[in-house]
Amino acid sequence: MNVRSGRSYGELATGLLASAGAVVFVTAAITELKPYVPVLSLGVLYVFAVLLIAVLWGIGLASLVSVASMLAFNWFFLPPTHTFQLRDGANWLALAVYLVTAIVVSALAARSRRRAELAELREREAAALAEEVLEAEALRRSDAIKTAVLHAVSHDLRSPLTAIVAAASGLANSELRLADADRAELVTTIRSEADRLDRIVGNLLDLSRLESGVAAPHPALWPVEELVGRAVEELGVEGERVVADLNADAPPVRVDAVQIERVLVNLLDNALKFSPPGSAVQVRVDEQDGRLLLHVVDQGPGVAAGERDAVFEAFRRGGGAAAGGAGLGLAIARGFSEVNGARVWVEDDPWGGHFVLALPAAERTPVST
Amino acid sequence: MSRILVVDDEPQILRALEMSLRGAGYDVDTASTGAQALTAAAVQPPDAVILDLVLPDTRGTDVCRELRTWSTVPVIVLSVVGDESEKVAALDAGADDYVTKPFGVDELLARLRAALRRVEGESEPVREVGELRVDIAGREVTLGGCPVQLTPHEFTLLSLLVRNEGKLLTHKAILEEVWGHAYADESHYLHVYVSQLRRKLEPDPARPRYILTEPGVGYRIVNPARRTS
Repeated sequence: MNVRSGRSYGELATGLLASAGAVVFVTAAITELKPYVPVLSLGVLYVFAVLLIAVLWGIGLASLVSVASMLAFNWFFLPPTHTFQLRDGANWLALAVYLVTAIVVSALAARSRRRAELAELREREAAALAEEVLEAEALRRSDAIKTAVLHAVSHDLRSPLTAIVAAASGLANSELRLADADRAELVTTIRSEADRLDRIVGNLLDLSRLESGVAAPHPALWPVEELVGRAVEELGVEGERVVADLNADAPPVRVDAVQIERVLVNLLDNALKFSPPGSAVQVRVDEQDGRLLLHVVDQGPGVAAGERDAVFEAFRRGGGAAAGGAGLGLAIARGFSEVNGARVWVEDDPWGGHFVLALPAAERTPVST
Repeated sequence: MSRILVVDDEPQILRALEMSLRGAGYDVDTASTGAQALTAAAVQPPDAVILDLVLPDTRGTDVCRELRTWSTVPVIVLSVVGDESEKVAALDAGADDYVTKPFGVDELLARLRAALRRVEGESEPVREVGELRVDIAGREVTLGGCPVQLTPHEFTLLSLLVRNEGKLLTHKAILEEVWGHAYADESHYLHVYVSQLRRKLEPDPARPRYILTEPGVGYRIVNPARRTS
């Protein structure tokens, strides 16, 4: 690796100027000091010039400075001055020693300089590499999530589609001898599965709204039986399994009716999906600390203690669940609950699945606003 | 009356299939998990099984493999688009055919009839598929009454296909049967021999009517007169 490849001509010119300056400066210093110190021992001062250049510009310029220093010393200070000749043979030796010292020192300085550069470069490379690894990891994870989402969504969309296509083509097939009751049931299947498909599409839209933070609620006072009634109605045929036992004295709640309806539809849908076919799903209410608690209780296997928070994550499905689902419903229920100042959680219940929705209750004495 | 076992974890799909199959004159049993399916098949052996590949307790492919340890009942698997490797795995585990979701009842019934027919005619020494007549014992092939000359490998390939009329055979299954285990991955062999066979048998080899390609999965031979899909 050539660590100096990036250096420009401009930098070289600066180096040359600095080199010349250093030699001139040391020469001037020696001239000043000459009256007080024997000139031959002052020659060692050139080493500082060499050292400086070696550290800042490397061995190339430093060698040049060594030679220039030697020549300057010879020219200005060694007799006969203003010639490159030497009268005293001992001065040759001194000059040679200075030159070698200068070159060795500059070589050492240059080496340590290069090491520092290399270390810095390695550090930068390591940092860049670490960053790349992090980016790749993030990309891989977001890809994995996308794949999981697509998988779950396509499974969820295809199941009702398959039921619809199978039922419709069965009805259309004139060779089949269908009893009237069977014919009616196939029609019911098509309608309820089309509703389910519509709910899944609605859930996907809701989820994207929640994720992008545009789900601002418009709270108003609502009687809870109206919210439950609308949710049950939306569930269509399956909604007939919901048994609501609502207290007529329950205070109204201050929520966005459309969003809380989504919460209820998803809680009820989940309960219906995970409970034995034909079994009832119960809805009842009670009050606690200014909140109205809405219980949705089914006769299914319930949620394992360790899963009670995880079930509210998107694209999460209950283990061993006979009924599939991308697990959007509960994530949406939690999302809309939170923006409405409500809370939803799984209650410990040995009898089956038990979800609680805590809604902010309004004052008993209606206050005009 | 044939008894069909339908295995799917979606109750609505299960109900729709149950009613359509009953309307077509079959007795229907249903199961929604792999374990239930194996129990049902053992208690009252069905004449054919329709099996979803995605089940809550296990993979359909594993159910198929388990079933094959003690039963030769035809199995049609239900799969989804894009899951070619799982289809191949199920077929290699002993499934006879697959139908891709969402599917029409007509297509499913046609596959079911073909699977049931295969069981009935299992031991016949002479097979006829449309105008094609293959005398397996006598190693003679005629098309519309005219003899067709085949090389030994071509004949083995063709007789394997006609013995499994309507059934989808994976590349691997054909290669192992015709060329032996060592050639199980050499699908290009198979493509070459299939195209040679088509040149000798098909009126228009580019638009085959007898030997059909299931891209990425395998081949099947069908009676052109009976094609419904």
